[in-house]
Amino acid sequence: MRCAMSRQTQAAAQLQRLTLCAAVVAFSHIASAAPSAQAILAASDAIRNPDKPFGLTVTLVEYRNGKQAGSNTLNVYSKADTNSGQFRSLIRFVAPARDANKLMLKSGNDLWFFDPSSKASIRLSPQQRLLGQAANGDVVTVNLAKDYHAQLVGEEATADGDRQMRRCYRLALGRAATDVTYDHIEMWIDVTNNRPVKGRFYAESGQLLKTAYYRRFQSQLGVERPTETVIIDGLDPNWVTVMRYGDYAWREVPEAWFQRDYLPRFRPE
Amino acid sequence: MRALALGLIVAATPALATDEDAAALLLADQTTAAPEGSRNWRVFAEAAVRQSTGAGAPQHGERLSFDVRYDGSFAAGWRAVVADRLDVNRLGNVAGNTNVNTLKEAYLSWQATPERVADLGRINARHGVAMGYNPTDYFRAGALRWIVSPDPASLRENRLGSVMLRGQKLWDGGSVSALYSPKLADQPSTGAYSVDLGATNRRDRWLAAFSQRLSEQISPQFLVSGGTGQSAQLGFNLALLLNKATVAFAEWSGGRTRSLLAQALARPEDAAFRSRLAAGFTYTTESNVSLTLEYEYNGTGLDRDGWNELRRGPPAAYGVYRSFAAKLQEPVTRENLFFHATWTDAMVRHLDLTAMVRYNVADHSRLQWLEARYHWTRVDLALQAQRNDGDPSSDFGALPERRTLQAVLRYFF
Repeated sequence: MRCAMSRQTQAAAQLQRLTLCAAVVAFSHIASAAPSAQAILAASDAIRNPDKPFGLTVTLVEYRNGKQAGSNTLNVYSKADTNSGQFRSLIRFVAPARDANKLMLKSGNDLWFFDPSSKASIRLSPQQRLLGQAANGDVVTVNLAKDYHAQLVGEEATADGDRQMRRCYRLALGRAATDVTYDHIEMWIDVTNNRPVKGRFYAESGQLLKTAYYRRFQSQLGVERPTETVIIDGLDPNWVTVMRYGDYAWREVPEAWFQRDYLPRFRPE
Repeated sequence: MRALALGLIVAATPALATDEDAAALLLADQTTAAPEGSRNWRVFAEAAVRQSTGAGAPQHGERLSFDVRYDGSFAAGWRAVVADRLDVNRLGNVAGNTNVNTLKEAYLSWQATPERVADLGRINARHGVAMGYNPTDYFRAGALRWIVSPDPASLRENRLGSVMLRGQKLWDGGSVSALYSPKLADQPSTGAYSVDLGATNRRDRWLAAFSQRLSEQISPQFLVSGGTGQSAQLGFNLALLLNKATVAFAEWSGGRTRSLLAQALARPEDAAFRSRLAAGFTYTTESNVSLTLEYEYNGTGLDRDGWNELRRGPPAAYGVYRSFAAKLQEPVTRENLFFHATWTDAMVRHLDLTAMVRYNVADHSRLQWLEARYHWTRVDLALQAQRNDGDPSSDFGALPERRTLQAVLRYFF
């Protein structure tokens, strides 16, 4: 009796293994047929972010309640960290005149602000950086695939930044690291070319923090990239920021530049 | 008309997640702003009127200031920096008026390679991570020609640099720099338009600084500084991210040195190892308020008993000591507390509110300063109020002005 049960158990176990093997084979066929969510996200990151050190000029125009409330121009040099894959940036404020030639270093959570007038190097907390428009940089030069786990929710038609319907992968991103700005993100990525179309960025509480539309795709540094991001504040939809990118160029950016002591020396070309 | 257009667009794009998105994209379509080119010049003019009350009759004053800063490259690897400020002061009830020019910086910089730089000229070489008191800011002594505001940022900006030769080598995560500042004059000058080398280069001085990033969190800086008639002083700076909203900082300097009292009153030699320290943290709330609390310790200053004794003693000695400490920008007593709060976009966009309190632990006197600053694209308008409380001979109670109100209009060209 015990022997029969043992044979039955063995057979059941064998069946289970066969079923599992079949499922794995079947799943791997499916997986090879469609790109993984993480691969889609990485391809989308590569469209937003050049794969070598680069410089660009960012113009931010801010609207409140339908009226222009301010504008800033920044020179940015960025380079990916070979370890984390995340971008580190040296930023020089160009306009308005009040802030001209002030500098900021962003290397992960190592954030420094330098005022050439007072020679003050001040370390900032991420919360301080979140003040004002600087936080919007997170929506642009960030490699989401490095910090977030992506899941494919499905494919759907969604309106892009030019209000054209576009077939998109809809990805749900959950944070893989603890020190990221956004707890979770929804991304819509064009199924035909992996272009980022739209993103919604959320706090841990579920509160929508901002919505970003990527648009005005142009050939920059060899790839069709979005040259404008429209950001809508999640708490106050009447707060809209338009970020435009120009003057793309490859730049030599030595590792030695990403430290507080280099900030007084930084002068973009 | 615009509402109609917006309505049509919203109606035509039902798949847009919200009406707000459609309205925002329509707004973005109208953006025409072109990027502004970078400029080597930053120039502003500032007009201020002030009213103060103290021991005597109320004082009325006006000030007109011109501030110019040039920072430009004139050849590959070469850079020139010039910063100058002229304060034209008109004080009521005071004989004579005061014009003060401050040549803050004038130097050439040569970046031989991306990691090697040399500078020569008058340089505002500043070190330190604390906000209210910087023990490692060795080149601040004698650097103030005219105090525009008690705001620490203003004190750091509106001062003389020292003439020096400086070299710096950078590498991945660290740097080392060394500077030599020679004696060039014997005495400070009170001339309105003097470059005043005597204020900053009255003796030979030197400094070496070394920084190394140990992790993303920790990047300490070590310093050693000395000069003619002064033993080497060691220094240390560290700013640490505690959490996403809090930065802690500590700044220490120590070495064999005479007490401030012995230096000020030429009293007998009392050199000993003395420390100076500033430590605190800055916490930023989710509503855009940055709060800084700082503990300040000056081991060269007087302790409570010494300070009380000096206050009860001859007024001349008391006055000489105070003015000597002010010139060095050192607190007169051992312990002070410093509080600073900035509320950016305080309820109204472009309105910044700042509050500052300096508290002397020995005599409980206080300096309180408030500022409301609204800024347009090229114009800043600021209203400032200062109140000094304490006994008449206390640190802040002895200041000639008890209450001051000031309005400042700044225009950026």
